[in-house]
Amino acid sequence: MHGKARQELLKWNGWGYNDSKFIFNKKGQAEFTGRRYRLGGMVLPTFKEWIEKTFGASLEHKSTSRASLNVNDVPPSVVNEEFLRDLIATKISYSQDAEDRVFRGHGHCLHEIFALREGIFRRIPDIVVWPVCHEDVVKIVELACKHSLCIIPFGGGTSVSSALECPEEEKRTIVSLDTSQMNRILWIDEKNLTACVEAGIVGQDLEKQLAESGFCTGHEPDSMEFSSLGGWVATRASGMKKNIYGNIEDLVIHIKMVTPRGIVEKNCQVPRMSTGPDIHHFIMGSEGTLGVVTEVTIKIRPVPEYQKYGSVVFPNFERGVACLREVAKQRCAPASIRLVDNAQFQFGHALKPQVASIFTSFLDGLKKFYITKFKGFDPNVLCVATLLFEGDREKVLQHEKQVYDIATKFGGLAAGEDNGQRGYMLTFVIAYLRDLGLDYYIIGESFETSVPWDRVLDLCRNVKERIARECKEKGVQFAPFSTCRVTQTYDAGACVYFYFAFNYRGISDPIHVYEQIERAAREEILANGGSLSHHHGVGKLRKRWMKESISDVGLGMLRSVKEYVDPNNIFGNKNLL
Amino acid sequence: MAAAAAAAGRARRGAPVYSQKELTSKKRGEFEDILEERRMSSDLRYAMKCYAPVIYKGLSPCKPSAIKSAVLHSEQVQYVIRQLAKETGESSDIIQEAAMEILDEMGHSMQLGAVRFFAFTLSKIFKRLFQRVCVNEEGMQRLQQAIQEHPVVLLPSHRSYVDFLMLSYLLYTYDLALPVIAAGIDFLGMKIVGELLRRAGAFFMRRSFGGNRLYWAVFAEYVKTMLRNGYAPVEFFLEGTRSRTAKTLTPKFGLLSIVMEPFFKREVFDTYLVPISISYERILEESLYAYELLGVPKPKESTSGLLKARRILSDNFGTIHIYVGQPVSLRTLASGRINRCPYNLVPRHLPQKPSEDIQEFVSDVAYKMELLQIENMVLSPWVLAAAVLLQNLPAMDFELLIEKTLWLKGLTQTFGGFIEWPEEVYSCFSFLRDVFSDEFIFFPGISLKDFEEGCFLLTKCDAIQTTQQEIYPTDKGSVVISFLSAMFRPFLEGYQLIFRYLSKEAKAAFTEKQFIPGVRNFVFQLLEKGNTQCYEALSSDIQKNALAALVQLGAVKKKKMTNGFTYSINQEAVNKILDMFVFRNQLPRRNDTYPEEPPPREPPPASAAAAVQPRRLRSGAALCRVCGCLGPRVCGRCRRAAYCGPEHQALDWRRGHRRTCAQPGAADDLEDAVPDHNEFLFPEYEILIEPEEPESPADSSVDPDDEAAIDTSGNSDKQEELRATGSASEALESLDEETLEAMAKHETEDDKIFQKFKERIAAEPEQIIRYCRGGEGPIWVSGENVPEEKDIPNCSCGAKRIFEFQIMPQLLNHMKVDSLGESIDWGTLVVYTCANNCNEGNQYTEEFIWKQDFSAGSM
Repeated sequence: MHGKARQELLKWNGWGYNDSKFIFNKKGQAEFTGRRYRLGGMVLPTFKEWIEKTFGASLEHKSTSRASLNVNDVPPSVVNEEFLRDLIATKISYSQDAEDRVFRGHGHCLHEIFALREGIFRRIPDIVVWPVCHEDVVKIVELACKHSLCIIPFGGGTSVSSALECPEEEKRTIVSLDTSQMNRILWIDEKNLTACVEAGIVGQDLEKQLAESGFCTGHEPDSMEFSSLGGWVATRASGMKKNIYGNIEDLVIHIKMVTPRGIVEKNCQVPRMSTGPDIHHFIMGSEGTLGVVTEVTIKIRPVPEYQKYGSVVFPNFERGVACLREVAKQRCAPASIRLVDNAQFQFGHALKPQVASIFTSFLDGLKKFYITKFKGFDPNVLCVATLLFEGDREKVLQHEKQVYDIATKFGGLAAGEDNGQRGYMLTFVIAYLRDLGLDYYIIGESFETSVPWDRVLDLCRNVKERIARECKEKGVQFAPFSTCRVTQTYDAGACVYFYFAFNYRGISDPIHVYEQIERAAREEILANGGSLSHHHGVGKLRKRWMKESISDVGLGMLRSVKEYVDPNNIFGNKNLL
Repeated sequence: MAAAAAAAGRARRGAPVYSQKELTSKKRGEFEDILEERRMSSDLRYAMKCYAPVIYKGLSPCKPSAIKSAVLHSEQVQYVIRQLAKETGESSDIIQEAAMEILDEMGHSMQLGAVRFFAFTLSKIFKRLFQRVCVNEEGMQRLQQAIQEHPVVLLPSHRSYVDFLMLSYLLYTYDLALPVIAAGIDFLGMKIVGELLRRAGAFFMRRSFGGNRLYWAVFAEYVKTMLRNGYAPVEFFLEGTRSRTAKTLTPKFGLLSIVMEPFFKREVFDTYLVPISISYERILEESLYAYELLGVPKPKESTSGLLKARRILSDNFGTIHIYVGQPVSLRTLASGRINRCPYNLVPRHLPQKPSEDIQEFVSDVAYKMELLQIENMVLSPWVLAAAVLLQNLPAMDFELLIEKTLWLKGLTQTFGGFIEWPEEVYSCFSFLRDVFSDEFIFFPGISLKDFEEGCFLLTKCDAIQTTQQEIYPTDKGSVVISFLSAMFRPFLEGYQLIFRYLSKEAKAAFTEKQFIPGVRNFVFQLLEKGNTQCYEALSSDIQKNALAALVQLGAVKKKKMTNGFTYSINQEAVNKILDMFVFRNQLPRRNDTYPEEPPPREPPPASAAAAVQPRRLRSGAALCRVCGCLGPRVCGRCRRAAYCGPEHQALDWRRGHRRTCAQPGAADDLEDAVPDHNEFLFPEYEILIEPEEPESPADSSVDPDDEAAIDTSGNSDKQEELRATGSASEALESLDEETLEAMAKHETEDDKIFQKFKERIAAEPEQIIRYCRGGEGPIWVSGENVPEEKDIPNCSCGAKRIFEFQIMPQLLNHMKVDSLGESIDWGTLVVYTCANNCNEGNQYTEEFIWKQDFSAGSM
């Protein structure tokens, strides 16, 4: 649970907890600090070599961030006196402190983090408010309307679509509405298996608190340590275990949202209703442009009895994709199934901690021998699927067998539980890596898309090739690292997640170059029949493609909703439309 | 107003595909004559060469039958089959069979054997038909790069049937992946040739199949499958058919839009379109076209027609220029032009009519490609002269023709035309200098200095002016120049007459006594008819000098006969006589230099072998990859390969560096990766001596004990290389021997002798030396250039020289100096030594060596 001063716990200029980060220790070996993660305190002996080989980076060339925030760099807070008086009257806590405001002026896009490290601030919120309940939010929105202010709702701050960036040209006072203090579970309805939760609650807290009553939501996006329920609703989030629990749109039963027009809600909490277009779908994915989500009723499930990880090695990516397609076709996908390409497999390998005993190392060698020599897999081509099964012990085992049987048909070989578990653990840790890279002239980012099954391979290949080509054209000296994984399977397609990073030494404006390349990659995705976004959202980063994505008329429909709900553009973060 | 409309038009169509080209001085790179090497070395070896082209993304090529099956079972074709079955009520099995039939009719079945067959025959035919086949090397390098990156579509201009074969021939020569070629189905009417073409990579399309959906589906999928898989470059003619008038025809769009589709659907990342301009000085079918255009119906393509066409083999069709253009990236062309949506909303395997956007784009690209073809068409002097002549029928003054042609040349250059003009003054000068080497006194070997001195003298008297590039006569200089050229003219004309006599009248062999009256008669006749004014040609002085010059130039062979010298005209390129010497030294076992006992049989340490061959001196100075001399120059691309000079760099590039240069992996060990051909020191082997097995030459009358075949056997690390030789001989076997024979059509004496040679060595194909002192003579590789007894001089001691041993051409392989046309070469070397073994002891005695080459005709 976060206090108001989040920067005491979390990095002000990077991802995650202050105490957790990758460093190179005195021996020059990579190490992950802190005790929060399984990888914490472990030495990663091969990682340095991997970085040097993959990026042509050298540990001697370091680019350092500013150690702390220089308050003088920060634009002053401009707040109307009358509003301040009214705000104080409501007894809602607020802050005009520079550190508080800077923390809420950014998400986690590369350019945002880069700007923090360089100490460049263009426009940040003028004031941060901390409502503690629905009524507080109503009051704030009323005050904003009265004093003509701009409100930008702030949940977990993990946006990667520039959604939290303040529009530079915004002349009104910008109020950052931090929902973090609205973090209670209001009630749990065991008969209907629903829970009503305040929207500011962070994913891991929600799961922890529900677990105390023996329940879970099963919604686990990779950012669940920091992202909030309200944020999930506002961006149409997707969780790792959606195969069992569903994505956010499947989980939500009821939403309460405060808008400048008033409060939107339904009259009942039912599984489904036929009352015209579902108003929830105006709210989900609205990205803070219509109002503030305050309370959400969400489905809950009993905590599963049994969990089991697994992994399968495939001779190549094509076979792996074919297998995932078959699994999706037979609708027997485990809670999570992901397929990483060879580059990411190697990357995961480089993050292997020092082995504890000779025995494990020997076993590793044996496995490697079996896979590469005996089965004839090429270590530079093979790819790995990681699996997570959940449910009754018996059913899990049965399910497991079914999936492995399918995998065998596609040349897959079971590669052990441990590899699977490590794979999932890495997804939480990987986000910390960018901060390390930034120290050594390496910039990187991830992006995602969804695509029909028959285009998955073409899309992956073409996007990677496009990135390589663009890098070359833009003068990037070393071949970029670009890798992808299929992270979700659906009946009709899959979600593909890309990582992309390069060494920017010798480039004068790396962020600009980076953005051009990312834009080219997105163009490529669209040309290959992929979507603009699967779950990251549009924000301001991908706005330019909205018209192309949903047609003129479609965009007009959304605009007319915005015009009705928020005619004075109080929620003026300029996302989406 | 008009401008506004034009601007609007442009805005609608996006950026123009074709922009105003630069008209002046375009850098187009140098041409290289690929026939040159063919004229110098064996066609058979060329046809049998190790052919391992680079292919797209390192994919291993799949069999033609696998492609057919992939096409038949593709979603695209299956979908159409199901649709048709639904509509017609016929069972889908029957339609599937029909589809298979279409595929069988259409599909190519490329086989290396057929390719080699073509490589061989086409070498022969092209050498006869054309003087030169010139290719821009740079374009070939670009193409090689392109083939590795993305699927490639070759778009040659179409003037002649030769286009088909020429391009494949070219790619084979440069070790690139052979294209599959869209050919008209009418070729299938030609019995054997149709099948041969099919095996060389042609696939056949019906001339019209608009209504036949099954055919369309199968055809389109066939082409796309080959393209998508990067199986081979796809080649077709935008013009659809041969242009009968040598003007480019308006493009056809069907095939072009098929090859573009995989990119539009993003099944491939990009596709390269390569415009190729093939310019002829004279087109093979010229008279045929004329008849056709006058309404005489086009004869059906038939094999007998082709055989009749053989008579053209005796004609001269000048030079072909092939300009391989810059590969054009379809992705780049399409960027900003194509709305991506239409293919996203329909499953990709459904047949879909291209949107208007795309149709317009395809058409623009087609025109752009044709314009690029036209832009790089090469104009030769003869083409320009012909154009001038056409406007001055029925005849015109020669001087005027020259003047007009030069004027046209200037005009063409102003218009940005691409002209190849053979006008190097210096090369003319040095040719004439060689011709007149017996007429005037030149100090040997300084022709450049002579040339410069001449230029200097002429400049001094204001007859010419020189700039960096050009030399041109001045107005004032005309007096000097016309006087000097008049002085020189009798010699020029005299020699010309003599040469004319030799090429028309002279017999195969003649003596000087026959020659002089012959020439005199010939000149008399011409003088009488008034065809020449050159009385000087009657002079025996000029006649003798001219003959001596021809002997010197190697065009006439001079042989000493009992009754003086005879001369024979050397019709073919004569053996390049190399200075070869052989020395005999018969050391007794006990001598001052070497120990009595052989050295211990231990292999030398590997490091020592490496030390023998440093790629770098200890000082760090790089050594030339080819010759091992100091190499101050480096390859501009990889910056790692060092050379002594541009000649060896060019040589190494052609010999294989172009393949390794671009490969980053190869670049790492480039420094020591010495290409096979350029060992500075020859590798060491042990020679195994074995008597020749008696049964092997069944028809031979040799006493087996007398003759020993000597075989090499390398130490273990050489095994690989020996195996490589083995696989080459396998390749030789895989080509049907009879086919080759049949194709040679006529069997000459030479062929028989060469056949015999092959039979004899078949038992021990690795043999390098045949030793049989005084016994049966050598086995010859050719009937030509066999020495007679009197050709072998006696030893200095007065004794006769007798045959001792011969060195076989296989040795070249082992020494890795078998690169054609570049390294030393022989058919066999025969060594004759003193019958008396004179001068025994610790000294060297020169003996006699006779070199015989593979006859140019038989191989």
